[in-house]
Amino acid sequence: MSSTPNRKISNMEGDPALPRRNGELVFHDAWERRAFALAVILCEQGHYQWAEFRDHLIAEIGAADEGEVESPDTSFPGYYEHWLASFEKVLVAKGICTPDQLSPKTSK
Amino acid sequence: MSDEHLHGNSIHDAPPNPYLEKHTTPQQTEALEKRVRTLESLLIKKGLVSAETLDKLVETYENDIGPLNGAKVVARAWADPAYKERLLKDATPAIAELGFSGLQGEHMVVVENTPRVHNMVVCTLCSCYPWPVLGLPPAWFKEAAYRSRSVVDPRGVLRDFGLTLDESVAVKVWDSSAEIRYMVLPERPAGTEGMSEDELVALVSRNSMIGVTKVESPAS
Repeated sequence: MSSTPNRKISNMEGDPALPRRNGELVFHDAWERRAFALAVILCEQGHYQWAEFRDHLIAEIGAADEGEVESPDTSFPGYYEHWLASFEKVLVAKGICTPDQLSPKTSK
Repeated sequence: MSDEHLHGNSIHDAPPNPYLEKHTTPQQTEALEKRVRTLESLLIKKGLVSAETLDKLVETYENDIGPLNGAKVVARAWADPAYKERLLKDATPAIAELGFSGLQGEHMVVVENTPRVHNMVVCTLCSCYPWPVLGLPPAWFKEAAYRSRSVVDPRGVLRDFGLTLDESVAVKVWDSSAEIRYMVLPERPAGTEGMSEDELVALVSRNSMIGVTKVESPAS
């Protein structure tokens, strides 16, 4: 595995851009780190192209933007929730997992 | 009392990114932890990943990516003398050429480090910082210790960052303001002659663009 970041991933711009603070990645919880790593590793192993994952991510973020009503007390999904949903979709699309192997969706 | 209010915060900060704040409740976090654990053990069982490679990968990304926009500007200037000339002459449009904007009326000035002159940037008044190219300022940039000592004892500050300059090298300290934001164009290190612009980008650290360190030679 490469020991330097893949720029196709680290340089994503616009909606799918990785959340960063002062250039550095922002993770809130351990699961976000692991979800990040899983999606990157399987891509690096050649199970899918980064563009495929990114397109799923863009679609997830776009769908959330449309569906969400602006309200201060609505908890809206964070970046890595979209990331995780995209990863699960790619895994199923590529036949790496079956839908019933995945956990039921997190209830809101 | 902080001086921040003198310019108003909105000018200094990057546009709000909703993803930088945590939104999940403890219950949601727990459910997400579980969902990822399920995936992880499934993929480990399939022999696709190991816990060790996961940790290593995250470490790589956490440590090795920095303020890329600024690094791209620096790498272009190293690779393209005509671009460098435009950048040093009038940085704002030269930076915009690479698609980086978002400055709100402030003017960017890029100062070049050479074997004879070392530039460093401070904001003595508060924490003015060119965020479209360098991201948000590091914590130390905003601390009174850095802000005042950079002016009185810049060589001492640089030594604290591990950079000891020969007495023959002139040190210039640039004080950013709401109107003018400075960025340092570090010296291109030796041993990078054959490198592509993309490879050069990876060498440029945030601190070298504030002028508190040099860009390390890839061999070291």
